[in-house]
Amino acid sequence: MTGYVVRRVLWGVLLLILVSALTFVLFRILPTADPARLRAGPNAGPRVIAEIRANLGLNKPLLTQFWLYMKGLFLHFDLGYSYYSGASVKSLVFDRLPATLSLTIGSAIIWMAIGLPIGILSALRRRSRTDRGAMGAALLFISAPEYWLGLIVLYLFAADIGQIKVFPGAGSYTGLTADPQKWVTSLILPWLVLAAGFAAVYARLMRGSLIETMGEDYIRTARAKGLPERRVVLHHGVRAAITPILTIFALDVGVLLGGAVLIETVFDIPGIGRLNYAAITHADFPIIQGTVLLAALFIVVANILVDIAYAYLDPRVRYS
Amino acid sequence: MFDSISRSASLALVGGVGAALTLGLSACGSSGGSVSGSSGTGAPAGVLTPVNESLTGGARGGTLTVLNHQDFEHLDPGQAYSSVDYEAVYATQRPLYSYEPNTFAAPIPDLASAPPEISSDHKTVTVHIRSGVHFSPPVNREVTSADVAYAIERGANANVANPYFATYFASLQGAQQALKTGNGGAIPGIVTPDPHTIVFHLEEPKGQILASALVLPLSAPVPAEFARKYDAHKPTEYGNYLVATGPYMFKSNGEGKVLGIGYEPGKSATLVRNPNWRAATDHRPAYLNQVDIRIGADPNVIGRQVLEGSHLVQNDTPAQAIVQLAYEQHRSQLEISPGAGTNYIAVNNHKGPFANVNTRKAFWAALNRVAMNKARGGELVTNVMTHFIYPEIPGFEQAGGLKGPRVDYNEHPQGDAQIAEKYMRLAGYPSGKYTGGATLQVVGATGSPEAPDAEIVNQTLKNLGFKTKFSLVDKSVMYSKFCGTPAEEIDVCPNVGWAADFGDPQGVLDVTFNGKHIEPTGNNNWGQVNDPTINRKMEAAELLVGSQARAAAWAAIDRELVAQAAAIPFAFDKEPNIEAHDVAGVGDVWNIGSWDYSYTSLK
Amino acid sequence: MSVGAAELLPGAGGRVDLPDLAGAGALATRSMTPLQLFWRRFRRDRVALVSLGFIVLIIVVAIAAPLVVSLLGLPGPSVQNPNLTNAFGSPLGPSAAHPFGVDPLGQDVASRVIYGTRVSLIVGIVGTAVATVLGTIVGLLAGYYRGWTDTLLSRMVDVVLAIPVLLLGLGLGAACEVRGCLGGHVQSGLGVIIFLIALVNWTYIARIVRGLVLSLREQEFVAAARSQGASDARIMGREILPNLLAPIVVYASLLIPQNILLEAALSYLGVGVRPPTASWGQMLAAATPIFNTAWWYMAFPGIALLLTVLAFNLLGDGLQDALNPRIAR
Repeated sequence: MTGYVVRRVLWGVLLLILVSALTFVLFRILPTADPARLRAGPNAGPRVIAEIRANLGLNKPLLTQFWLYMKGLFLHFDLGYSYYSGASVKSLVFDRLPATLSLTIGSAIIWMAIGLPIGILSALRRRSRTDRGAMGAALLFISAPEYWLGLIVLYLFAADIGQIKVFPGAGSYTGLTADPQKWVTSLILPWLVLAAGFAAVYARLMRGSLIETMGEDYIRTARAKGLPERRVVLHHGVRAAITPILTIFALDVGVLLGGAVLIETVFDIPGIGRLNYAAITHADFPIIQGTVLLAALFIVVANILVDIAYAYLDPRVRYS
Repeated sequence: MFDSISRSASLALVGGVGAALTLGLSACGSSGGSVSGSSGTGAPAGVLTPVNESLTGGARGGTLTVLNHQDFEHLDPGQAYSSVDYEAVYATQRPLYSYEPNTFAAPIPDLASAPPEISSDHKTVTVHIRSGVHFSPPVNREVTSADVAYAIERGANANVANPYFATYFASLQGAQQALKTGNGGAIPGIVTPDPHTIVFHLEEPKGQILASALVLPLSAPVPAEFARKYDAHKPTEYGNYLVATGPYMFKSNGEGKVLGIGYEPGKSATLVRNPNWRAATDHRPAYLNQVDIRIGADPNVIGRQVLEGSHLVQNDTPAQAIVQLAYEQHRSQLEISPGAGTNYIAVNNHKGPFANVNTRKAFWAALNRVAMNKARGGELVTNVMTHFIYPEIPGFEQAGGLKGPRVDYNEHPQGDAQIAEKYMRLAGYPSGKYTGGATLQVVGATGSPEAPDAEIVNQTLKNLGFKTKFSLVDKSVMYSKFCGTPAEEIDVCPNVGWAADFGDPQGVLDVTFNGKHIEPTGNNNWGQVNDPTINRKMEAAELLVGSQARAAAWAAIDRELVAQAAAIPFAFDKEPNIEAHDVAGVGDVWNIGSWDYSYTSLK
Repeated sequence: MSVGAAELLPGAGGRVDLPDLAGAGALATRSMTPLQLFWRRFRRDRVALVSLGFIVLIIVVAIAAPLVVSLLGLPGPSVQNPNLTNAFGSPLGPSAAHPFGVDPLGQDVASRVIYGTRVSLIVGIVGTAVATVLGTIVGLLAGYYRGWTDTLLSRMVDVVLAIPVLLLGLGLGAACEVRGCLGGHVQSGLGVIIFLIALVNWTYIARIVRGLVLSLREQEFVAAARSQGASDARIMGREILPNLLAPIVVYASLLIPQNILLEAALSYLGVGVRPPTASWGQMLAAATPIFNTAWWYMAFPGIALLLTVLAFNLLGDGLQDALNPRIAR
């Protein structure tokens, strides 16, 4: 078991290095802008620009730059400094992390709390009107772009500009420590909008998975043993059905922790997604590297946790 | 000497002078109503304007909260060069001369004690410096002329790279050499015979221009013993460790560090009172105790918060919808500042179809300038641009005022297809439309109103028969990579504009239309305009003395530029600014009406 | 965010069940070819038929957009009309002449919504097609040869999946904006979007095809072909590939709506086709600063997007049902 874990973690680290390298090369070969020129400002002469380019180390060969970056990262946990503003990438990222965490974790709780029960209900009442209605609604939410849903929700319910003034509108996000009440109310609309699409997906997934599980032999055995239906369903059926769902859940949360740029844009939440978006516009390589690395880290960790969980539950996997 | 400003410029402020341009507004189904009383360049009734705001009598104390969407670019007075930067820099630094909020033409002595003395051959400028002005902590000592000398010399330091040193200070003796070596060493042309006198010796008779340029932040004193170690960094770190001479300073720690304390990039800044500032030495009243600046929120959100909140202002451009909201429901909280600059379209005079003057005239005639301005917010915030010197700048009236030179391609602000066709035929396209094979490279900026304006331009070009490759990039990228680099040979840059550094027409026309100012990077002569006759006239006009003479000469150059259709104008900007109901804001007309922290007070 | 495509991830071990085209459980009273069986099951699904009809309608509208626009009496999509905005530049709302209102440049929104079908369909269908071809090739090779080819390709898939899609798209879009990239082969606008979609989606198809091939290569007909001396290429092309077509089509059809949403999301963030070409995502982006006053500009492109994606999703569901009736829904 330890061997398996070690193997997985090693591959995870290698993967992060590969992703870093890929991003490094990609954004330097296909630069979105010239960071030296942007930092130099719009009136700078070629000499100043060349100086700045040298200062930023952009003259060195690609491999050297990458080596220096990796060294700084592994030895000092130094993510570098923004080309555009000079602030340390680590501080910028950690500044924005709470907002992204708040958004992701809140949404995740809501979508699981809504999606899973609906999926279970639908699976049990297959082909009934409840089932069709729920799955129809789910498909609707999957098909709608979340930023559009966000705009609609703001149009209807935002306290500053909405038709029915219920929740704080875009731009009202405040940190948890600053004002807990405002933190919650400002996040309700973003949570609901982000959770809507995911809840729909998970409802469908749960339904499909549960239907498949309920067709298995051991369920029939359990029923034959005379166990109450409720226990059969919840104890045996759902528990088995939920395993593949958790894989996907871990991945989805991992991806979201890398920044939900669309929701952040619509609701003006200062998260990592927006930080990355601005960095890409300005070819601010250190921030791009840092945020992509962070996003990849979350995904890799999620993958590792899931793999370990599977290996724990299914010994055959360990030896593949 | 600073002669009295051209009276015509100040007359233009009180709306109604000069032919008021009546723009055809569609009456059918227009929601929101029209803008009443906005004739001329003045502001409509009920709206604030910087020229009318009271400079005295404000209540002392309180904290003003500023909500900005845009972040600062540079806080170092040697590097600052944007309106948002100026808001903070002019509250914390004292250049030799500065303007009072309500004028752009008559600077008054700030750190200096008297107007500059320009020798009769215009090669020597002497400035006397006030006593009793001290640096803020941690430097604390009195400011001397050596500090001003160092401040200007560091402009040539490659680590500081002042953007206008080469334009205004290169005529100093030894300045060219200093620019070449770029190590920020002493410039022989700057002499400090005693701690309160500074003398500038010039190679050419350009004393007037140098004296005018002393209103720019570069002349604000910088203590050499404190800043030298920061200026040795590539690039300089002085902007993170500022020392102030103005009524306010960025909050800092004991060592003078501002970054992370008084300024958090992308997030906030805090200005507190400078304990070493003496009101008796300054024209600024400095009513506020503190200014809290919050950066980065969405402009629509900021606008609503400011209009409905308390002790708030927005100090960068409000969103268009907010300007409309303010005009309709909070008129007394809206300020419209004339003379905020120009917006025009740069076309490539060097290469391609627009190297032909007639194609340029055809484009000018075809463009619907009213539509372009509607995309920016309409009559409330723009006037149709008809030539290149804008309102408030001396020479505006002589160059044609609001109507501009009376040439046929200038007569129809809504565009005239027939006149356009006429010029296309003159350009060698008998059908009246472009028939050549070239595809025009059009590079505009993302965001509003730049993107809609660029789209209108794109459509106009298509109507003229051109094929276009239309791209939108971030504005800073547009300037730094594409439009500002002549080698890229971009054909059309629809989103360029200019605001003068000081109230002199040279500041409007020279850098932008003089062939000798075409730079390989950071070029501001975006159209690569290089007409030898115009270049010669500019050389001559640069040396003139007396604002009447200068206004007349540069106005003549403006008319030449119109005759050559060097660029395609569309908007004389009037900048809107908003404040909360309980703020007695005072805007600086010389800084697009931005609220001046040293004059604003709370009600 | 490719929310729904999560459903495509195969279970542990990577094997994907073969589609049950022979229909165990189907009431085959006379022998029908798998395709006929498939079509019969599909025909019974009313919802899927309706969505197919809707999609056909959208395709027709996209192809005949100029005709549709003129039949409805609307101006063209890039006819700018400053008279349709008020004194402050705000656009006018829905009226008789402009049923969906106009945008801030005075362009008719209904007209642009109609033309927007073109971009969405081209991106959705072509992009997915390119991704499918790429993914099939890769998956085929990985599943057939196994060994290090398989490992290498699986690892590549891991790497690609770890990079955030939208941000990659932003980077590519901005980089290729003015002069294109990769030697001018990838131009801004549709080129970049299709390139990105292919780049991001081939992994899903590759994984599924790999799983299918892993199952298929053990079957007798493959062993038979090999014993007859058929080359690898022949086996892959003649024996295995035909059995993959139906599931590939089904899984690809599930990708189309994801890609339409991806294009809209990228346009929303500022990457993608430029005006005057109409794109629903780009219209939503332009509507965002003014959405509380110009609600029509935000509502109608969004509804168009919703309906189109919904139709493709329903179709995909229907196809999957027809293919795999055992997973009776």
